[in-house]
Amino acid sequence: MNNILLVINREYTQRVRKKGFIFTTLLMPVVMLALMFAPALLSGIGSAPEAITVVDNSGKIAPYLIDHYSLPYVISPLPVDSLRTDTDVNTFLVIGEDIIENPTSVSLYHRGGGSIETETLIKDDIKNAIEARRLEDLQLGNLKELLGEVEADVVISSHKIDNQGNESSSNSLTSYLIGIAMSFILYMFIIIYGQLVMMSIIEEKNNRVLEIIVTSIKPTHLMLGKIIGIGAVAITQVIIWALLIAGFITFVLPGIAGDQMFAELAALKAGTLNPADATTDFGVLQVMAMLSSLSYIFSIFGYLILFLIGGFMLYASLYAAIGASVDNAQDGAQLQVFCIVPVIVGLMFAMTIGQNPDSSLATILSMIPFTAPMIMMSRIPAGVPAGEIISSLAILYVSIVAIIWFTAKIYRVGIFMYGKKPNLKELIKWARYK
Amino acid sequence: MDIVKADHVSKQFVGHKALDDVSLAVPEGSIYGLLGPNGAGKTTLLRIINHITAPDSGTVYFCGHQLTQADVNSIGYLPEERGLYKKMKVGEQAMFFARLKGMSKHDASAQLHQWFEKFGITEWWNKKVEELSKGMAQKVQFIITVLHNPKLLIFDEPFSGFDPINAKLLKDEILELRKNGATIIFSTHNMSSVETLCDEITLINKSHNILSGNVNEIRHRFGADRYQFTFAGDERSLLAAFGDRVVSNISSDRNEDGNTRMTLRFAPGTSLHDIIATANDTVALSSFSADLPSMDEIFITSVENNNRKS
Repeated sequence: MNNILLVINREYTQRVRKKGFIFTTLLMPVVMLALMFAPALLSGIGSAPEAITVVDNSGKIAPYLIDHYSLPYVISPLPVDSLRTDTDVNTFLVIGEDIIENPTSVSLYHRGGGSIETETLIKDDIKNAIEARRLEDLQLGNLKELLGEVEADVVISSHKIDNQGNESSSNSLTSYLIGIAMSFILYMFIIIYGQLVMMSIIEEKNNRVLEIIVTSIKPTHLMLGKIIGIGAVAITQVIIWALLIAGFITFVLPGIAGDQMFAELAALKAGTLNPADATTDFGVLQVMAMLSSLSYIFSIFGYLILFLIGGFMLYASLYAAIGASVDNAQDGAQLQVFCIVPVIVGLMFAMTIGQNPDSSLATILSMIPFTAPMIMMSRIPAGVPAGEIISSLAILYVSIVAIIWFTAKIYRVGIFMYGKKPNLKELIKWARYK
Repeated sequence: MDIVKADHVSKQFVGHKALDDVSLAVPEGSIYGLLGPNGAGKTTLLRIINHITAPDSGTVYFCGHQLTQADVNSIGYLPEERGLYKKMKVGEQAMFFARLKGMSKHDASAQLHQWFEKFGITEWWNKKVEELSKGMAQKVQFIITVLHNPKLLIFDEPFSGFDPINAKLLKDEILELRKNGATIIFSTHNMSSVETLCDEITLINKSHNILSGNVNEIRHRFGADRYQFTFAGDERSLLAAFGDRVVSNISSDRNEDGNTRMTLRFAPGTSLHDIIATANDTVALSSFSADLPSMDEIFITSVENNNRKS
């Protein structure tokens, strides 16, 4: 037992003292905060929208085209042939004479790459224009006015409530983004720190330090000590990040935000803010509203640590078995596919599931230990029933015991095997050794 | 008393047998050589004695009782391919290994500083291992191996890669350790070190123990009926004079002073008096002695004979 502590202590202190560790630990929160606010801030900047030149041969569509902010239409009297060679015009739209009867006679020309978004927008606009024109041609009198009266603008205001019916301020887009960010952090930590475990084992195996250590400590204990020591480094990093972000929100944010923004933030929290009146970008406000709640931040990071411990232990023990079965980093890199693929599958499902956190697919994947950490972290910011969190964690932690039991057996045999890279059959054989 | 006794130890790896029914006994306080060609199973046996791997069958006894994990703290092991954590500082690293061996922080630090002073390497304490030369790292490794004053020291190929100065230092240290009561087992290909250091040896070939015993006894046994002559005269006439009493002509070469030195093996039971008389009659004999074979010869003969048999 004492020797496990010595191994943990060595792994931990050797790593946290490294300059690289200190540097990334301090720098990453800055990058994370920048990433959170960047989309909202960037959308305000944008470049000047480029106009679409329209050649309307039918003369029936142009009056119905309504400019978009990002996509104004310019009606051109010039013939198509001259536009083709006019390098000032990058994108132009040619509408056929029989457009009302034949909606397919539309062509879009662009120099360089076209944008799917632009194409979709134009398609919708022309569709609306044709429909409006056809309605008019039917000459049903004041149909347009009638339709206007019937039309309903639906705005959903979403409220999250718990089982007691208490409402909490939440924005599903923001929780989605936070969830994705958390999944991504998990993915990064599991892969990066898992690889550290693998590399550290390969190193010990190659320089034969291992043979000296195993005279004093059981291989299984050595493996556990290594995983726990390196895991502790990861946890340290997450805790420092949580504290840095909390510090930023408490001390730095009030300084840069300004009174106007705070008033709007308060209004948003109280539910009295009309998005149209806000001077600050509504997206930024929503992110701020969530982030400025310290208890929210700490609970998210709390869950992150629980799932990080679980996910890391699970994958790190696989990485340990891989490290023990190979002689060099190249062979290790090939075998680590077995770790990377499930983590990435988890992350990819997390991205889709984040949009629909209560689907049954979400629940199932939350109960599979290999995907559970990423999936759960993408769902938790939007709120998941406590029972589901507990059972997901329970399954995860029980599987860790089973996986470690299995991988320790491979590790124990593998660390003394040199030469040929073993195949799966041999690995299973190793695990069966007494 | 035997400090280590291996009793019918066998170990099988995927596809090959590393040790097959190997028994040996290492007397306490001795320097014991474990010899054998590459791949004979020496390292596997040392690992078993170190409790790193368990034998498939057979038992290893340590100080009379069956070897347990706890006994390992009384063993110091210097593996064949020596390694240290490259990025770790020398002092910290030595402390880590000492504490793994169960030493207290205080003892470890005090003893390490003593050793570092003895080897004149105190200024390395805060250097990273990767900054050291190979010879320097070997010194550190040696200190780590012997630091906890183990009763038994196991060196796997200790002389490989050492320059002559470090090799001498190591030899002296091994003798010093034995003087202080430790038992030393080492495996080696360096036969001259076996002759100068070892009390007993075991020769392993193809996972079998093919020769065990006291070095002097073995050399005398292999050297029976072997005599060396130095003389002036014709070697062919001497051989002719001995006739079929000579079983084999082991070596003959000419000295700088023109004399011939010849080593011959005679048929068992050939009388010494007879041999000397014949030699004196035939050539001008300047010296005559019984010849002990080198460990090199014994090694090669035994292994080749064994390979021929199997």
